Amino acid sequence: MANPSQTLQASSAISTEASGPRFNLSLGKALIYLILIVGGILAILPFFWMVSTSLMTLGETINKQWLPKVPQFSNYVEAWTEAKFGKYFLNSVIITTVTLAGLLTTSILAGYAFGRIKFFGSSVLFAILLSTMMIPESVTMIPNFLMIRGDIIPLPGLPGWGGSWLNHLPALTVPFMANAFSIFLLRQFFIQIPDELWDAARIDGAGHLRFLLQVVLPISKAPVMTVLLFSFIGSWNAFLWPLLVTTKPTWRPLMVGLWTFVTEAGPETQLLMAGAVITIIPILILYFATQKQFTEGIATTGLKG
Amino acid sequence: MATTTSSISGGASPRKRRRIRWMDVQEQLTAYLFILPAFLVITMFGLFPIGYAVYMSTFRWRVRKGSFIGLENYTKTVGDWKGVAIFIGGFLLIGLAYWIWQNAFRSLSNRKLIIGTLAALILMAGGWVISSGWGLMIANGDEDFLGSLPRTLYYAIGTVPAEIAIALVLAYLLYQKIQGQEFFRMLYFLPYITPVVATAVVFRTIFNSRPTSLANQFLAFFGKEPQKWLFEPRPFNNVMFGLNLEGFWAGPSMALVSIVFFGIWTYVGYNTVIFLAGLGSIPHELYEAAEIDGANKWHAFRHITLPLLSPVTFYLALIAFIGTFKAFNHIYVMRVPSALGTVDVTSVTIFDTFYKANQYGYATAQAIILFFIILALTLIQNKVFGERVFYG
Repeated sequence: MANPSQTLQASSAISTEASGPRFNLSLGKALIYLILIVGGILAILPFFWMVSTSLMTLGETINKQWLPKVPQFSNYVEAWTEAKFGKYFLNSVIITTVTLAGLLTTSILAGYAFGRIKFFGSSVLFAILLSTMMIPESVTMIPNFLMIRGDIIPLPGLPGWGGSWLNHLPALTVPFMANAFSIFLLRQFFIQIPDELWDAARIDGAGHLRFLLQVVLPISKAPVMTVLLFSFIGSWNAFLWPLLVTTKPTWRPLMVGLWTFVTEAGPETQLLMAGAVITIIPILILYFATQKQFTEGIATTGLKG
Repeated sequence: MATTTSSISGGASPRKRRRIRWMDVQEQLTAYLFILPAFLVITMFGLFPIGYAVYMSTFRWRVRKGSFIGLENYTKTVGDWKGVAIFIGGFLLIGLAYWIWQNAFRSLSNRKLIIGTLAALILMAGGWVISSGWGLMIANGDEDFLGSLPRTLYYAIGTVPAEIAIALVLAYLLYQKIQGQEFFRMLYFLPYITPVVATAVVFRTIFNSRPTSLANQFLAFFGKEPQKWLFEPRPFNNVMFGLNLEGFWAGPSMALVSIVFFGIWTYVGYNTVIFLAGLGSIPHELYEAAEIDGANKWHAFRHITLPLLSPVTFYLALIAFIGTFKAFNHIYVMRVPSALGTVDVTSVTIFDTFYKANQYGYATAQAIILFFIILALTLIQNKVFGERVFYG
């Protein structure tokens, strides 16, 4: 097994500053730029295509043209209201917010316990926790679906739910309110906090919870932010599970909305592309706002979705 | 260590000792309280389902639980256990050939040829055994599930080496003293962070069968005929080069190749970022020393960069390979009926068995088989490539 922590350590010493060997020939340099620029164009061409098509008329989408004659911003209005992307958008925002609040609470607490408290059975429990990362989603998906439907045990809920979470908010949030990766990431950080801080806090009469809230969290902004970013993307981009548990549009998130638009709406490509743009805008804003942290977070953890 | 502890607690008054123990209990309770919420969720939706999946797979279970049928779901999937044994035996033969081949280079030179020939013979025998075992399985097994495995393999072989090679080149070039390194990195990374459902929807229109689709405009630019892309079930080799190969060697369909393009497009940026981090950790003195010794750029790349990057490359290949066997979302979104199931990789097939055919127990058994396949592939990859990794 490649020791993952070794890879992590290797990549944690990132210096993004270019300091490799130099190419002296300007011709070589020009060639490098050419390759890099072609790569960049290929990377963003589909985005250009998406935005451009989203502003076309239906007729223009079938024609061989790269730009609309007159940008049809009304497509966005139509997608937002008639194709219900506005509703799905709101659903996605609520689902993601609730999931993140739950996930952060559970993983900060658990990460702290595993990182800073010696307790009976901690290593066994931690190993069990990590082992869940190996199991593919397709194995757990069907039992989880039965669980959500209330087939295995009746689930708590509002009157009228009948013990089932199908088409209700908890089905989309609760299963994602804890995961091994987030706990692992936070534990790795918490474990490095010097014991002197804890000794000092204890002398001042603080317990673990106060120490966690007042000392540990303020100095753990970076790892918490990393967990937050990854979980935001995971929650916002989730598709397969929401597809299973939302048979009605009540809590349908954007990704499933986009997919049902593909299957139900037929050839209105311009609305579909407008919907796709709406879907990616929050992710893009988040990405550009936290770019450095984002890429470095990925580089240091080696996370792959 | 033990003596100091006992001397401390021995020296303390009974009251103090009780207090220490009480504090210890309190610590334990706090810890358990802290992990409780996370473990409730993970037990319910992460651990329990594993056991329940195994349980479900032994029942005839269509929407509701039916009768206990033992291993029948598994037997129905793989067809013939004898076939499975022969199939795995073939892989063991290939492993043996690989082992002999490696040892051949350690032995005396005059025996090299004989041993090499032996290894080649065993290798061929292994290939033959695998294909006869596979024949037995496919004759009695689940055509959809077994048929999806070579498709998944095509997808993996099509995407993983390409995305890693392209990323290595881009990362290496970016690592030269380049203006706007961060800008390029940001561009390359965009496809990876964008929701895969959204980009897959866009690729559905780009690789459309319409003559005006972007992919066809690209072909027209080079004076080629428009193609049906995602809508084309015929093998890629047949469509593009007129090759008529049979069985496994026919290769992926045009539709699956279109999805391969999507896979490469999505993951190149991620790999580039990881490679860049890896390049940053190679000590610069090594390059300077090589330059003094008269090494050119290529030598430096071949003998310094590549070996020192090998842990990163290995890690990326492993993760990517496993990822292709789990890949679902984009393939599900880009699949069209006209592709006639030629893009249905294993995870998509399992989902169909569950969602469309409502065969819950059967689908669970298939998912568990997929898990073991992924596990086996991980172990093989570790054995074969893990040894070549240079950890410095």
